[in-house]
Amino acid sequence: MEVHPLLQVQELTKDFGGLRALDRISFTLNQGESLGIIGPNGSGKTTLVNVITGFLRPTGGRVRFRGRTISGMGPHRIARLGLGRTFQMARPFYHLPAYKNLVIPLFSPRVRRLAGGRYGDRDAVAIDLLEEVGFERDSFVPFKPASVLPHGYLKRLELARALAIRPELLILDELFSGLSMAEVSSTVPIIEHLQAQGITLIMIEHRLRELFRIVDRVIVLNFGRKIAEGTPAEVMESEDVKKAYLGSE
Amino acid sequence: MFLGTLVYGIVNSVILALVALGFNLTFGISGIANFAYGALYVLTGYGVWILLNEVGLPLFLAAPAMVVLTAMAGALLYRVVLIRLRGMAISEVIATFGVGLAVLEFFRYLGFIGFEYTLPPLLDGSLSIGPVFLDLQRALIVIVGVTLTGVLWLFTHHTRLGLAFRGIAQDEHTAMCLGIHSDRVAMFSLAFGGGLCALAAVVILPIGTISVDAGYDVLLEALAVCIVGGLGSAVGVIVASFILGLAQTYTAMYMGSHWMMIVTLVAILLILTIRPSGLFGKQKELEERI
Repeated sequence: MEVHPLLQVQELTKDFGGLRALDRISFTLNQGESLGIIGPNGSGKTTLVNVITGFLRPTGGRVRFRGRTISGMGPHRIARLGLGRTFQMARPFYHLPAYKNLVIPLFSPRVRRLAGGRYGDRDAVAIDLLEEVGFERDSFVPFKPASVLPHGYLKRLELARALAIRPELLILDELFSGLSMAEVSSTVPIIEHLQAQGITLIMIEHRLRELFRIVDRVIVLNFGRKIAEGTPAEVMESEDVKKAYLGSE
Repeated sequence: MFLGTLVYGIVNSVILALVALGFNLTFGISGIANFAYGALYVLTGYGVWILLNEVGLPLFLAAPAMVVLTAMAGALLYRVVLIRLRGMAISEVIATFGVGLAVLEFFRYLGFIGFEYTLPPLLDGSLSIGPVFLDLQRALIVIVGVTLTGVLWLFTHHTRLGLAFRGIAQDEHTAMCLGIHSDRVAMFSLAFGGGLCALAAVVILPIGTISVDAGYDVLLEALAVCIVGGLGSAVGVIVASFILGLAQTYTAMYMGSHWMMIVTLVAILLILTIRPSGLFGKQKELEERI
């Protein structure tokens, strides 16, 4: 049997009217690897995530997950295959208590299938998950509606919600944005713990120092093109990357 | 006299709530204002009548059969028409209103007009509450209304599909990335709305006659309740039904029944002036409006 990489992105292109937001992007990601995607604002990072997760249809090229073409599938089908994502701006179900936000994904057919046909006590699983991402267990926080939670908790809730569908590939779109230094340093171990569990990661991030501690490999986007790929150290040495970030002299 | 008016006022309120529940459910979940709602109501009425009088089915089969068929009609409306207009609110309204018009006027064209189009009551007889006599059909309406509200609450709060409904209602994108099929949930919302509408028709129509015009009236009543209560709010529907229902009945009693329709219209105008999003609707925050 042929062994496929977990994710193959092949010549992916996305046009918005006359604007080419993604220009023939290709990369592969193996099981258990962690990939960072960086680039200046407007370079196409979030568009790339939206195309991979099915929220946008590509103009050209394709995405394969475990060898199966997923571009053109709806977001709900891609999610059911085990591709979890967070949104850059936290998008919880504001009128539900934090833990109920997780009960919705815990009801998904995927979770039941992985659990061998049983859901278990979803409320308890939800609270465990929240604890895993740093909600205090013995407090009222998990029972408060998402609308009153502070930003730091909402970001963690995003992470927990994506984890609730038991993803094989987790895409984190600027998880650290808007978090304080202390919050970031308490979130990094949570992500390292996920890596230890074998979850494959894609992280879009502007906080490069923290990102480079976590990921094995980085790709750099600028104006929709991939301008560099390599280890964090290699990428930062690249002339193109310096130019993109600092402007040409 | 006062007590009698109160009892009939409550019955009238429950009728309004029953009529509005389905419309509100569909809107609350998928944001679709189903203007074919009145047509579905009348479709159920004539459907049951045909099954009873032309096909010869007993009532206890004809009524549930039409509830299921009307729910399917709602699903079909989404699958065939609305799926292609999704997200364009005005087009959704025009399309559903158009379908509703076509269905209602088709029944008129077929000649379904007259006093023979009535449904037999599901329950015969009457009971007395103190000095007030209430027929069992109206008592049944109250029981169905209260039960249905309870069942709906349990459904949306404690079942898989109910939670998916609430998820889609609150953030469609988030729900989709959790594996929820947004189009299927929207189709279910139309089907559930249609089914609730049919259930309302089956219990309410026996106390009057089935007519094409009832379709327009029901749509207007559902809209009035939802506008006053706040679109998409379940609590709003109940509160608004009681405000409008009691106000209508007392007005009819003490001022004459031709004033009844004015009550609804005045209520709509008042609420739109004071609080355009309705009593329990979500008003846009000031900064969002700028």
